[in-house]
Amino acid sequence: MKKHYSPPSQGIFGQIFDSLFILVLVYASLMIPLLLKAEEKAESAAAAVQAAANATWESLGQNAVQQAQWIKLGYGPEEAAVLINDRFDYTIDPLMLVITIAVIAGYFIFMLTVSKRQYREVIAEKFD
Amino acid sequence: MIFWDVLTYAAWGLSAIMLMWMVVDAFMVSSQYDEEFLMSSREGEDEVMHGVELDGENK
Amino acid sequence: MATEKIGVGSGQRISMLKVLNPFHIWALGVGIVLVGEFMGWNFTVGKGGAYASLIACWVIGLLYTCVAMIDSEVTSTVAAAGGQYTQAKHIIGPLMAFNVGLYLVMAYTMLCAADALVVGDLMKSGAAVMGYADLDTRPFVVLTVAFLAWLNYRGVFMTLTINLVITFLAFMSLVVLFIAVNPLSQGDVLQHQGLLTDLPYGWIGVVAALQFGMWYYLGIEGTCQAAEEVRSAGRSIPLGTMGGIMTLLVAATITWFVATGLMPWQYLGQAVTPMYDAASLLGNTNLQLMLFMATAFAAIASANGCINDASRAWFSLGRDRYMPVFFGAIHPRYRTPYRSIMFLVPIAISFAFTGLLDQVITFSILSGLLGYTFMSFNMVKFRKMWPLESIHRGYIHPFHPLPAITLFVLCCATYFATFLGYGASLLSIMAFYIVASLWFVFRRYQYVKRADQFTMPWPRPKGY
Repeated sequence: MKKHYSPPSQGIFGQIFDSLFILVLVYASLMIPLLLKAEEKAESAAAAVQAAANATWESLGQNAVQQAQWIKLGYGPEEAAVLINDRFDYTIDPLMLVITIAVIAGYFIFMLTVSKRQYREVIAEKFD
Repeated sequence: MIFWDVLTYAAWGLSAIMLMWMVVDAFMVSSQYDEEFLMSSREGEDEVMHGVELDGENK
Repeated sequence: MATEKIGVGSGQRISMLKVLNPFHIWALGVGIVLVGEFMGWNFTVGKGGAYASLIACWVIGLLYTCVAMIDSEVTSTVAAAGGQYTQAKHIIGPLMAFNVGLYLVMAYTMLCAADALVVGDLMKSGAAVMGYADLDTRPFVVLTVAFLAWLNYRGVFMTLTINLVITFLAFMSLVVLFIAVNPLSQGDVLQHQGLLTDLPYGWIGVVAALQFGMWYYLGIEGTCQAAEEVRSAGRSIPLGTMGGIMTLLVAATITWFVATGLMPWQYLGQAVTPMYDAASLLGNTNLQLMLFMATAFAAIASANGCINDASRAWFSLGRDRYMPVFFGAIHPRYRTPYRSIMFLVPIAISFAFTGLLDQVITFSILSGLLGYTFMSFNMVKFRKMWPLESIHRGYIHPFHPLPAITLFVLCCATYFATFLGYGASLLSIMAFYIVASLWFVFRRYQYVKRADQFTMPWPRPKGY
């Protein structure tokens, strides 16, 4: 029979530190993408407003029914043009795609491998 | 409009009261009860654990 | 301390109260999600057009049907607060369990913050309609979180009974709206022929729409967090969850049908409160008021369910010492994980006040998605390690392993959709989970008792 692992008990400061650590990590990961994206947004917003000037329903390709609903919603052609011309860009950067796939796959593989090792330990202690 | 100002203060006040109530109550519990007892719950202690469905249990 | 504290050396065990029934489970699951039908789902329309939204609605509906089936089977066997976290602990291993626990806490806490913001914004627009501009939303955001935390603190039965009432009312408002637009006579109110267009971005837009398609259903899997508080969990949870997913499939389809018949897709794709706008277009003040109230109810029900679920998950992490053991306490009178509930209050409020709603929502969706990915291989391992006859199951889902494989494939497609829309956020959120995992392995796991993690009365798993 193997000796069971008995963990140390954690003091109050350790507990506070550990809770705060996770919190700081969350806030950091929320903020990082913001720093990267800030400039892009300002540029595209300015371009959209410029393109919207002098737009007509015809130039925006809106049929009669669509026009009627836009007007009911309180939009004229120039206001609507900002929404209509704001299109997503779905070009794929292959390098980024590969990196992203590698990160997600790597994460799961790492997690499963470590979990398996820890799990064997748990089962051994529980059933042996 | 005065109504909305009052409502804003009321919302702050009510939130503060409820939050304070929880904090005070939590302290009272800690001072009255043993820490070991508060943490003594065990996972999965119910009918599923024993592999039987106790059908007439809510008598 | 002169007087002896209550409970010293009594050998008594405290536990949560078993008071809930399948209707509460339904309310918990649907309550969290339904706000997504009032706002948020319509971003799928912006991503790929109206038809892409409908395809996303059904494809992601299939994903969640798989989730509900798999969850029902595993939870009917592993009935513990913590839900998927406890499943991971018993079937995959500690590090996976820690991550699943974090997914749950993050997904629900962030969703709760978003819901509270919605309530604040609704108050503001309500005040604006009544002639008071620039209402400060903050006190109402705080009040929402504080009140719901207080409710949760005081007991689960009242919490979820209230959820049942307001969720049902919000759902009925969608049905009323559906009847009000005269669905059978096209061109009368609904203008689908004129408003529906071809796919504006082609099929890539359909894939991109999958990400926000999750908004139609995100949170239904939270039902199993209530496993320790429901009477006969093995029966109630499958019943409540399956009933919930059916309700949501109906609600999602109604929502899409009404909204796309009234608004051009470019407007719908960025609207903040599309269902309220839909009611405004009908020009009926009563309907407008009803949708206003229903949106508020849905947001409150969602925040309420989120506090319930996030606190159960955090509590379970504490109870197993994955997180500080302090949070593993149960209130002796109300029998709720009161410390976890209180801990989440400042966190939810701070998320709401960061102003990063976009990021917060992406974090929430991605955490959910990581959890579903886990469920797919979890199910396969579960059947392998404990074949059908080896342990008692309250519910057995059909067609195994088809749902697990479908779930996995759809998850991959949804990761790709997230990559298209929020590539940078995706990487930064993955970085969070990777750093947290390393921290768990090298620091936190030393405090965990090994054999105590396995609490089910099962035989030794096959192959270990």
